[in-house]
Amino acid sequence: MKKFIILAAICAGLAGTLPAGTGGGDEPQVILIKNATIIPVVGDRVDQGQLLIRDGKIAGLGKSLAAPDGALVIDAAGQFVYPGFIDGYSHFGLTEISAIASTSDVREMGKENPELRVIWAINPGSVHFGTGRVNGTTAALVAPSGGTFPGLSALVKMDGWTAQEMAVKEIATSLINFPMSPRPSGGEGGGQQQESKVDVTSKLVDKIKDYLKEARYYLKLKKDAAADPKLPTPETNPKYEALAPVLDGSLPVIISVEKDKDIELAIKFVQDEKLKAIFRGCGQGFKVADKIKKSGIPVIIDSLYAGPSDPEDGYDAPWRNVVALAKAGITLCFSSGDDSSAGKDMPYHAARAVAYGLDHEEAIRALTINPAKVLGVDQRLGSLEIGKDADLFITTGDPLDPKSEVKHLFIGGRHTDMKNYWDNLYEKYKGRPLRKG
Amino acid sequence: MKKNVLIIAVAGLFLAAGTGLFGAAPVEKKLLLKNGHILPVSGEPFDGDILIVGARIAKLGQDLPVTPDTEVVDLQGQWVMPGIIDSHSHIAVEGNVNEGGDLMTPEVDVLDVINPEDINIYYALTGGVTCVHTMHGSANPIGGRGIVLKLKWGASADDMIVRQAPRTSKWALGENPKQSNADGMGKARYPKTRMGVEASIREIFEQAKDYMKRWEAYDRKAAAAKGKKDAVLPLPPKKDYRLESVADILRGKYWVRCHAYQSEEMASIIRLCKEYGVKLVSFEHGLEGYRITNELVENHVAVSTFEDFWAYKWEAYNTMPQSAALMVKRGVLVALNSDDAERMRRLFFDAAKAVRFGGLTELEALKTITINPAIILGIDKFTGTLEAGKDADIAVFSRHPLDPYSVCQMTLVDGKVYFDRAKYLEDRQKAEEAKKKAAEAPKPKDKKD
Repeated sequence: MKKFIILAAICAGLAGTLPAGTGGGDEPQVILIKNATIIPVVGDRVDQGQLLIRDGKIAGLGKSLAAPDGALVIDAAGQFVYPGFIDGYSHFGLTEISAIASTSDVREMGKENPELRVIWAINPGSVHFGTGRVNGTTAALVAPSGGTFPGLSALVKMDGWTAQEMAVKEIATSLINFPMSPRPSGGEGGGQQQESKVDVTSKLVDKIKDYLKEARYYLKLKKDAAADPKLPTPETNPKYEALAPVLDGSLPVIISVEKDKDIELAIKFVQDEKLKAIFRGCGQGFKVADKIKKSGIPVIIDSLYAGPSDPEDGYDAPWRNVVALAKAGITLCFSSGDDSSAGKDMPYHAARAVAYGLDHEEAIRALTINPAKVLGVDQRLGSLEIGKDADLFITTGDPLDPKSEVKHLFIGGRHTDMKNYWDNLYEKYKGRPLRKG
Repeated sequence: MKKNVLIIAVAGLFLAAGTGLFGAAPVEKKLLLKNGHILPVSGEPFDGDILIVGARIAKLGQDLPVTPDTEVVDLQGQWVMPGIIDSHSHIAVEGNVNEGGDLMTPEVDVLDVINPEDINIYYALTGGVTCVHTMHGSANPIGGRGIVLKLKWGASADDMIVRQAPRTSKWALGENPKQSNADGMGKARYPKTRMGVEASIREIFEQAKDYMKRWEAYDRKAAAAKGKKDAVLPLPPKKDYRLESVADILRGKYWVRCHAYQSEEMASIIRLCKEYGVKLVSFEHGLEGYRITNELVENHVAVSTFEDFWAYKWEAYNTMPQSAALMVKRGVLVALNSDDAERMRRLFFDAAKAVRFGGLTELEALKTITINPAIILGIDKFTGTLEAGKDADIAVFSRHPLDPYSVCQMTLVDGKVYFDRAKYLEDRQKAEEAKKKAAEAPKPKDKKD
């Protein structure tokens, strides 16, 4: 009973502060942004340019577009237009308040849950979607966490009435938390806390391989039975079923891996199992950058609010690492990591990498076209090109600079309300009369 | 008379030592930081030099004269600001920061458990931090005593401790002392409500007041009996180390730093401290402080807070990244702190966020990580700004410290360089070359017997 009361109180609290994110109503279908500096990411930058949005898509981009009749015209003189940022790994909509279990759906019990879909659990009313949009993020990969096979991530837009409507891909990737030896502080996933003389990591990798072998055998039995009615059909196993597209290489799998030795093991694992892999983390990737490059596996950078994986790597390792990976020619994506309440900080992670030597344009690509390509949605997202989704934002300056402010943001051509949970509190409390002392 | 002679003689000895009569005189090192964009925080930014003599800033200005004994560092237009001060930290504390075995532990002291070899001291320096307030955790309504450290990496704990800083007493309200988020064993302890937390503080205060009365009565009786023949000396009350510590809080010996989140628990504890005459200096975190700025200003209570860390528990949910700026704008003394060894390395970046979220000026933002925490810690007379006569606690950045691409290049504490990025890069390169060489060297053949 007591628990229920607490829950009810929290729910009431949340309901009272639901963000006014979702647009709708009499939105104009045609919007012209004019006089802006446009950075399309794919293609050359356009100074004093115009961008036309029609029916949710980018309909025009150039220097001399006229506003069609009835169009909403936004004068963005002195401002900049970028394609919406794509967060390469997040828990948006899965956790509201991390300490309160009743507001969290990010981690299931057990180690092997490859069949779990985040699309079943995402809360489109989470305030973190609204606050996460503040710096230009328009889409995010939402991933489950924990265990060896956490489940299936979804790629969603950062605004919408329902999770299904928000989804660009209800199933975007599978995930594997690769065994770690030893575990870096603050990381998630399995692994050993202490360094061991025994090669524990390889043994744990063998366990994963055994599991995949069982899944392959199951799928073969099923296939054989389908071809030959005389053979028995195995009992349906949803976990193995979920791994089928991973095993045939049609669904990418994000492999979280941190240390150099583990990365080498993971590359071999991916090649042995013929997986379409994306690495996430790779905090010590700089030590094996050439090997990652050779494997062709792209890397999602974790939150850079982190210390070095090993003090021996030097204090600046998290940022230097990104620079080295980019220099090796590896396709990089940024992400906000496992704290959805810090989603807005993704461009700040990129900024820290730029501070330590990452090329600024490369940083922008790692926030836009790279994740679009890696997640297989570059025909729709990731750049300002005619025919693509009108997911973009207008900002006052460099989008990696915390002092810049996103003034307008469009998702699917919808002029998304930038007023979020924080702004509502701010508006209210800045109005409290000052007491004259 | 005899005494005076002795004093003069001793003073003479010191004077003699100072002028070199007794051999090696301590010559104060002179260091000139030349050609910097200087952000003194206490005054207008300017392009110029800083002369450091010994541990102090001797002079700021343009084209300061160089004597032959002055070491010169050409900053080549890099940016110079006062060393960053983190007013809420738990680094360099050996072992657990919480004495969770009891509800009230005002007598435990971080001073006794400083670990000068904590790598986080070095990491802090790499982010321009020169000074931290390191504390007991937030498990108890009244926790332990905190201490101010200067981050002299490589020196002893004793050398790092800032003795001139007022001692602090760490309190905590809300979810942590009432163990709302604790599992297992922790769940059994009183209190379970904010009412209980406040009641527990009042209870120990009353116990301490009674304790003080008992000692006062004894002291009176003992004084009266003194020198009287045949007087029976009274029996002293039992010493209670814990109540002695609470008594010291009531006597104002400790500056109270109270961990709290919700506005109403803060407003209530302001009244409690007023009632008992306790020196409440600041709320720690104070994520809802923006709701009670009038009360904070009227009672001269500061807030040491996060720029934008939130939503990790219920009491941290009703806030916004504009909170710090809104409090500043409404007159509250605000410091941005880390509470975390990793966040500590990027407090300058947090300050930049306060410009965007809530609209602080760059100067106001810089103050939240320099002079404001210095005032809260009572060390503003000798650090927190770049001024002649103050300690040479200085951070050098490649760009303006609020620029997103700025990198800390050098950190000085008491005039000594404790972090130098150029040196770090050089050392790393040497180490890498040595490693490469070792790998390439022909391996000695295995002996076969």
